[in-house]
Amino acid sequence: MIVKVKGLVKRYDKLVALDYLDLEVAEGEIFGLLGPNGSGKTTAINCILSLLKYDKGSIEIFGKPMSADAYDIKKDIGVIMQNVAVFEALTVYENVHYFCSLYIKDKAKVKELTEEAIRFVSLEEYRNFYPKKLSGGLLRRLNIACGIAHKPKLIILDEPTVAVDPQSRNKILEGIKRLNQEGATIIYTSHYMEEVEQICTNIAIIDKGRVIAKGTKDELKSMISIGEKITIETYQGNENMVNELKAFPNVFSVELRDNRLEIKSNRGKNNLVHILDYLNKNQISFGRIVTELPTLNDVFLEITGKELRD
Amino acid sequence: MFQLYKARLKCLVRSKENIFWSYLFPILLATCFYFTFGNLWTFEDYESISIAYVSEGGQDDALKMAMEEAHTDNGTPLFVVNYTSEKEASKLLEDNEIEAYILGDSDPKLYIKNNGLNETIIKSFLDSYRRTSITVQTILNNNPKALEEGLLDDLMEAETFVYEVDNGKRPDVMLIYFYSLLAYTCLFASGWGLDEVINIQANQSHRGARVSVSPVHKMKLFLSNMLAAITAQAGGITLLFIYLYNILKIDFGDSLFPVIVTCMVGSFTGLALGAMVGALGKGKVESKEAIVTAIVLGSSFLTGMMIVNIKYIICKFAPFLNYINPAALITDALYSLYYYDSLHLFYINIGILSGLTVVFGFIAFLGIRRKTYASI
Ligand SMILES: Nc1ncnc2c1ncn2[C@@H]1O[C@H](COP(=O)(O)OP(=O)(O)OP(=O)(O)O)[C@@H](O)[C@H]1O
Ligand SMILES: [Mg+2]
Repeated sequence: MIVKVKGLVKRYDKLVALDYLDLEVAEGEIFGLLGPNGSGKTTAINCILSLLKYDKGSIEIFGKPMSADAYDIKKDIGVIMQNVAVFEALTVYENVHYFCSLYIKDKAKVKELTEEAIRFVSLEEYRNFYPKKLSGGLLRRLNIACGIAHKPKLIILDEPTVAVDPQSRNKILEGIKRLNQEGATIIYTSHYMEEVEQICTNIAIIDKGRVIAKGTKDELKSMISIGEKITIETYQGNENMVNELKAFPNVFSVELRDNRLEIKSNRGKNNLVHILDYLNKNQISFGRIVTELPTLNDVFLEITGKELRD
Repeated sequence: MFQLYKARLKCLVRSKENIFWSYLFPILLATCFYFTFGNLWTFEDYESISIAYVSEGGQDDALKMAMEEAHTDNGTPLFVVNYTSEKEASKLLEDNEIEAYILGDSDPKLYIKNNGLNETIIKSFLDSYRRTSITVQTILNNNPKALEEGLLDDLMEAETFVYEVDNGKRPDVMLIYFYSLLAYTCLFASGWGLDEVINIQANQSHRGARVSVSPVHKMKLFLSNMLAAITAQAGGITLLFIYLYNILKIDFGDSLFPVIVTCMVGSFTGLALGAMVGALGKGKVESKEAIVTAIVLGSSFLTGMMIVNIKYIICKFAPFLNYINPAALITDALYSLYYYDSLHLFYINIGILSGLTVVFGFIAFLGIRRKTYASI
């Protein structure tokens, strides 16, 4: 295991931010820590990095206990915090260079890695810009370059795409995948389920400082009962029809809202065929039909009874 | 480590705000002081200064004559001279009956209690007297008949001194402002110190968090950051000093070395003060900056940078303040260099100042040593 967190408890006065949190991240994973705002993602990361004191639990990184003085562990970690942390008075190049030189002694090597990191986030054109002159997305990319320039074995990213335009976001996500392909283990926190679904190989969903579910994205989805969501546009829906549909095999919920019939069903083949048969037989005309597989949001919804994002 | 130092130094000197407040502002202020007080100074509402003179000399005591004859442009005598024994003089000084006493005639020594305008006038007078008498001596040695030939008449005129002060060329009387300004600039190093500490404290800044997760030992970071701050400060204080000394020709006494030592120790005090405020507690960076600025301005204010009289009020009613106010310690060290030949008082002031610096530095160290926090 690259990272092993056991029974982590962290309190801020009375507020319990982490409640016996367990995490295990294996080598080569892109591990997603998914949770709504205030669920304790940042707190967990800060504890793992020994920036925060915690009340209980143990943290191991690379098989060794983590502490503030564990410099041999720290040298192989790259951190991209939730907040951009660069020096206003240094240019893009100088910023990356500074943070890289905290990790690497050899001057020539630092230069080389700095260049590489700037290329990696495609900021070549902006190398002599001061951070103030960069847009939000570019700034995030600089922030990432500063964290990964030294080629760490473990990269921790805390919501690196907050307030980023779609173009930069895709660049960032692709970059993370590439870093992973090059051998780095990644811990990625987010409250965007789409992102986590897109890149993570393993996911832990946390809420109120506790892991409420974990596994691969398919494992997580198979944990819940919804297999399929079918939405049908129709202007002829009525109570009777809703009740009859409810009696279908596999179907466990039917709702009629704004001329849209929403049917949730268990996993199973031919669910849609049976429903369309029924509509045809009863001569009910319908418009668009959308079928969706469950998302991580459905997983979260089913376990906690609330939406991942409001 | 040199790379870290270099990057930090770049950050410091590229900040326009820093450069303005630490480099340009003191020079602007010095220029203002120089022209305002240099020109406005007149003897119009001058009140004679009470002094005592202790001398075993006979009738034709040259210094006594000079003191009695000295007067300002409009005829007010410069001094009211009491002739007393040394013991009496020291008692009078203690009771604030007189502002100074002078001991001996051939090699006169000045004793004062406070530092201020009047003291400066007395000191300037005495300096000028010393210079004149050396000149007279030299001339007489070369040409024993000079006296009879009337060659010395001009020189003997005590008015020479008044003229010198009055034309504003010798700004000794406004030393209080320049010394306070120097103290202020020394202490302003606290801004650099604060910045540097904030930047390595994980609970104070995002940058601090970022460097804290790196494998560089915190004390090493602290050291390289502080070196950068010291370099930046040295630049500012050197610039001001050169400006005061070489361009405005401010008098810092006979030897420059202890003056430079004072500036150095004072700058360290400033740095340590800033580092301490930065390391203590969580607080917002802006409020910490405000606290540091308030301390620096406040302590400079108490030394009379804005209103000269403050200094006397403090001396009278809260003298202990002068022993813990770093700006007062710096100005007093500079005064003692200017007024006295002996370094005794200078050592006392520098000693206390160094003590304060060590205390500030130690508290800062305790705060910086911590690496994990209860909350960030
Ligand atoms: N310094 C602090 N003092 C007190 N409470 C805190 C502090 N930092 C965080 N909290 C609380 O701890 C809980 C977890 O916060 P945390 O920042 O870890 O959440 P998060 O999952 O990172 O949220 P977000 O998605 O908004 O970044 C929240 O309820 C938050 O209010
Ligand atoms: Mg967070």
